[in-house]
Amino acid sequence: MDIRVEESAALPPADGSSAENVVEHQIKWGRLTAMMDEVDTILLRTAFSTIVSESRDYAVVLLDEKARSIAQSQICVPAFTCSLPTATRSMLEVFPRETLKEGDVLITNDPWLCHGHLPDFYIVMPVFHEGKIVAFIATAAHISDIGGRLDELNARDLYEEGLRIPPSKLYEGGKPNDQLIRMIEANVRFPRLVLGDVGAIIGAAKVGAERYVELVKEYGLPAMSAAADFILARSEAAMRAAISCIPDGDYEGFAQCDGVTSVTEIRLKISVRDDSMFLDYTGSSPQKSDAAVNVVKNVTHAHSLLALKCSLCPDLPNNEGLFSPIKTFAPEGSILNARFPAAVRARSRTSFHTHTAIYDALSKVTPGAVQATSGSFWSLRFLCNDDDGHPFIVHVLPNGGQGASRGLDGHSTTAFPGCSMVTPAEIIETNGPVLIKERAFRQDSGGAGQFRGGLGQTIRVTPAGDLPVRITIRPDRTRFPADGLLGGKPGGLGELLLDGASIEPDPFTLMPGQDFTLNLPGGGGFGDPRERDSDQVAQDLKLGLISPDAARDVYGHATEQ
Amino acid sequence: MNLIPESMWNTKMTRKLRLGFDIGGTFTDFVIADEQSGEMFLEKCLTTPDDPSRGVRNGFNLLFERLEIDGSDLDVAIHATTLITNALIERRGVKTALVTTQGFRDILEMGSEVRYDLYDLFMEKPAPLIPRDLRFEVGERLKSDGSVITPLSESEIVSLCAHLKEIDVKSVAIAFIHAFRNPAHERRAAEIMKREMPDVVICMSSSVAPEIREFERTSTTSANAYAMPITKEYLDVVTDTLKTAKYGKDLYMMLSSGGVSDAGVAKEFPIRMLESGPAAGVLAAIFYAKQLGIPSLVTFDMGGTTAKVGVVKNYEAAKSNIFEFGRVARFKKGSGIPVKIPMIELIEIGAGGGSIAGVDQLGLLKVGPHSASAQPGPACYGLGGDLPTVTDSNLVLGNLNPGYFLGGSMKLDLNAARDALKTSVADPLGLSVEAAAAGVFDVVNQSMLSAMKVHITERGEDPRKFYLFAFGGAGPAHAYELARALHMKGVIIPNGAGAASAMGLVTSGVSFDFARSLVTQLNRTPWSEIEHLYEEMAEEGLKILDGIGIERGSPEISIAYQMDLRHKGQGHEVTVTIPAELIREGAPDRISELFYDVHEKKFGHAHRHLPVQLITCRMTVGAGMPNLQLMKVPSSGTDFSQAQKGSRDVYFTELRKYVNTPVYDRYLLAPEMAFPGPAIIEERECTVVVGPSGNVRIDEYGSIFIDL
Repeated sequence: MDIRVEESAALPPADGSSAENVVEHQIKWGRLTAMMDEVDTILLRTAFSTIVSESRDYAVVLLDEKARSIAQSQICVPAFTCSLPTATRSMLEVFPRETLKEGDVLITNDPWLCHGHLPDFYIVMPVFHEGKIVAFIATAAHISDIGGRLDELNARDLYEEGLRIPPSKLYEGGKPNDQLIRMIEANVRFPRLVLGDVGAIIGAAKVGAERYVELVKEYGLPAMSAAADFILARSEAAMRAAISCIPDGDYEGFAQCDGVTSVTEIRLKISVRDDSMFLDYTGSSPQKSDAAVNVVKNVTHAHSLLALKCSLCPDLPNNEGLFSPIKTFAPEGSILNARFPAAVRARSRTSFHTHTAIYDALSKVTPGAVQATSGSFWSLRFLCNDDDGHPFIVHVLPNGGQGASRGLDGHSTTAFPGCSMVTPAEIIETNGPVLIKERAFRQDSGGAGQFRGGLGQTIRVTPAGDLPVRITIRPDRTRFPADGLLGGKPGGLGELLLDGASIEPDPFTLMPGQDFTLNLPGGGGFGDPRERDSDQVAQDLKLGLISPDAARDVYGHATEQ
Repeated sequence: MNLIPESMWNTKMTRKLRLGFDIGGTFTDFVIADEQSGEMFLEKCLTTPDDPSRGVRNGFNLLFERLEIDGSDLDVAIHATTLITNALIERRGVKTALVTTQGFRDILEMGSEVRYDLYDLFMEKPAPLIPRDLRFEVGERLKSDGSVITPLSESEIVSLCAHLKEIDVKSVAIAFIHAFRNPAHERRAAEIMKREMPDVVICMSSSVAPEIREFERTSTTSANAYAMPITKEYLDVVTDTLKTAKYGKDLYMMLSSGGVSDAGVAKEFPIRMLESGPAAGVLAAIFYAKQLGIPSLVTFDMGGTTAKVGVVKNYEAAKSNIFEFGRVARFKKGSGIPVKIPMIELIEIGAGGGSIAGVDQLGLLKVGPHSASAQPGPACYGLGGDLPTVTDSNLVLGNLNPGYFLGGSMKLDLNAARDALKTSVADPLGLSVEAAAAGVFDVVNQSMLSAMKVHITERGEDPRKFYLFAFGGAGPAHAYELARALHMKGVIIPNGAGAASAMGLVTSGVSFDFARSLVTQLNRTPWSEIEHLYEEMAEEGLKILDGIGIERGSPEISIAYQMDLRHKGQGHEVTVTIPAELIREGAPDRISELFYDVHEKKFGHAHRHLPVQLITCRMTVGAGMPNLQLMKVPSSGTDFSQAQKGSRDVYFTELRKYVNTPVYDRYLLAPEMAFPGPAIIEERECTVVVGPSGNVRIDEYGSIFIDL
């Protein structure tokens, strides 16, 4: 049985429309979200790679005829939804809308136009009604390979990282662009998975286009445009109202993260003025030429907005209206606004840490609406062949622990800001050549605090058969832990061990009999651990989430034994 | 309440009586059907959750008295209940332990790791049914092909048993990695445990949910183990109650899949009974569909708290194989505990007559998902509720008659409804009370419409081809507007719509579903391996049927085959119904073609060049449907105007105004009558609202058709 919530919303007649009109707009809005849920489901159910079908690393957004984002499904990668509209507008500069025909599909993976690294394919289908473009279905999906180096961290420039597709037509008038498709096929390691996912994206987008045309037929284009204006205006007003609740002022935040070759620092000043906000990352580390952790400004902006939306107005549907009151800035050439052709493959090693600085800054003024830092997700890939000898990859995105908030312990093995689903061991073992020996909570990895950070996890892997297995791994927080807030302690550090000894995260070959251990980081705690309710400490101790030593030394808990 | 006039009830007729009773959250519904005459008798009593047998006895007494019978006159008794679901949600199960493969005891709590709400920093997750200190690991390991890597450590099991006895565990779930592929280790572990702890309930993942994906399988097995002892206790009480009422035969249970099985099977697989009441509603719709000769319907069951929508195609309900119970964030997908069980697929929306309307801090009108339930109830009930609900709005809009709620046995307070709407909705939004009520009606309908549209289209169906089959206390008041917005053919409201779901109990046959995962490329597997799995499942099914007196080889036994298939390398699978001859003949190529067709119909494309991979084999073993025919209602020979009992002003969304509308008495409507909307038709348990674009006709069984 499938159950979902449909909470609808209406506006008081403050924006010129009558209350009755508002209810009508509200109804169209609800239908748009329902339509995007359907598109999302189709893509999930028909995709080929584990990164899309199990890990859900994708998003589909409906853009109106002006390429403004209007609606998205209820579960999707939030940061993608921020960069899809701008990427679409960039593609339309290359292929002006008046030159597009029904059946055209555009594609690019340019990190500076899209989402900061080459594996993210951005695919846009214009929706036609009576010969005119009335909307766009825009999809972002992390595909399973894009060629280039096997490792994720060490590229020195973009050219080492694989195939770059400038804005191009993937389909023209309903016909596939065979030359481009053959070019992709020849340059990726797992063409069946990549092209299978592309097929699923286009299939789902077609359904979205049909559904939107049905709505346009039912309501007429002017009514749909009015609904779009309404949605955007409503969202912007709500975001402005939320910002207004924060006292005007400048609030500073700071974060440190593993930078592979050298530490990365993020420095931030949030300036709140009336109902708008300015985020200035001046002072952050410069871009790197020896590690693929540089971030393009689209991604910096997207992650900043995501952290702010979660803190300020989590209940509002996500769309571009929310974004207009917020500006972000990072100096060109800095790690958060890297110049082409910087290496960017593992940009999440930096971008996923912006929320630490943002919540650090906001904790000084709205401590009840922030979360301590989470132990990030990691990326783990097993390269193999299927039983026909075709190259195959199993992609696993396990999570560290979530940071704690005022009033709430962080969830274990649930990371913010990502939203990835872990691939089950039985699926990994059925598809790939490895054996998962353990998946377990890591005792004491949750940052201590009045509210405890979520626990990270231990994953132990060994080859299933007599053959060696090639592995690539992208860990995080192995040098700098997830910070606590307001007296909370940091979460446990991440670790990589081969037969018990620490190793560096380069791609490597796991030999039969070897034991590879991933210890994922825990989330930060919130508030002073000595303030933690003693019953809760006792409970954590009973469940083995903390050790007797930690209970005594960190929480000051007197144990009976 | 009789479905036919009392005068037509002939007590001298030969009777073969089927009793159905469905314990819901607020009401327990009863129906007795006479298989010979097709007559049906309904009763409704308040549920008594502290001791459910009391409510059951009340209903029996009323119904038996009216029919001048006792339990010994009954041919069969079939039961559905929400009490098992409630016990799970309220965590009233026994102390249960989980035993897993070394290294995997935390799987149950880690879940999928996904955040079901992208933006909520304060998102809650459901606590695991079995806490970490009751989860244990033992040495054993299988490979993905089922072969043994590490043999089961029997000594570890023995010493674990000693510990489990010491801490007084009452029930144990065993869930080993890849046990769906090879159950040997689980079976051996269970055997030892039964020997060491004969009083403890043992439950294996390889028998509860032998399907791939360890979290869902472990979760299902844990929930089953947790619920087994209380279910047994509960069913023993119900059986005793029936015995006291002189019914000495077996008790049968409705399952989530829409099948019926005997109470013994239900005791072993209690999670197969979750949501059995709503499933029965869909079965009632199928029964009517067959009688009326309409193969496909959308069912719409709206009660006090939620609305349930299902799709019936060719007299069959859509089914799914996973369900989530106990959602901590009300209706949010992912916020509950998943169980892999065969279910009649329904979408449940937090929209019912009791759904509360209000304006949130952002100035947005919201309806639901919270419900005023029976206590304190909608404002107009006058039972202490002061928040406006959907029912209050319906009253203000003229959809309901304040003097004829439950046939007039309950008076509704219009002024209380208006006051509540004014304070909580109209004033904050700057609307009139009437406009606020219309807004609430529109918003709640919109919630249902969005969900319905996704649900129908996800099944690859077009709502325009269907009638909406409406029942439940609030369904007939909202159905017209939903059908109109979806451009459906119209609405059908059966006789006795207010308690129609209980009828599903007496109209369905015995059946049970089985599943076995086998991940393999379809055209490369020796067919005998697949056949063997099906034979195993058939054997289990026939054993169950045998246990309830249906012998092997009996012509009424039916077996249906399904497979979960996908393109090789694809992430998710699609369940495809396979004709029996393709299984017999071993025709993987034709099965592949079937899969491509289904995939294309469902998702708009298929990759016909890719081989097809089998994930799970499924089977339903059943035995004949009861031979029940609806009774025809004679025409009255009078004009429809004779049935009009008054008129009142009613608000219609499509006109955006109130219109003076005739009000009809359902019990005076008879076949062959037809009249145009707008109209209101009142019956005891519900009110039918017909808008201005609808045309009403009454069919030979007394069903109301609203054609659009």
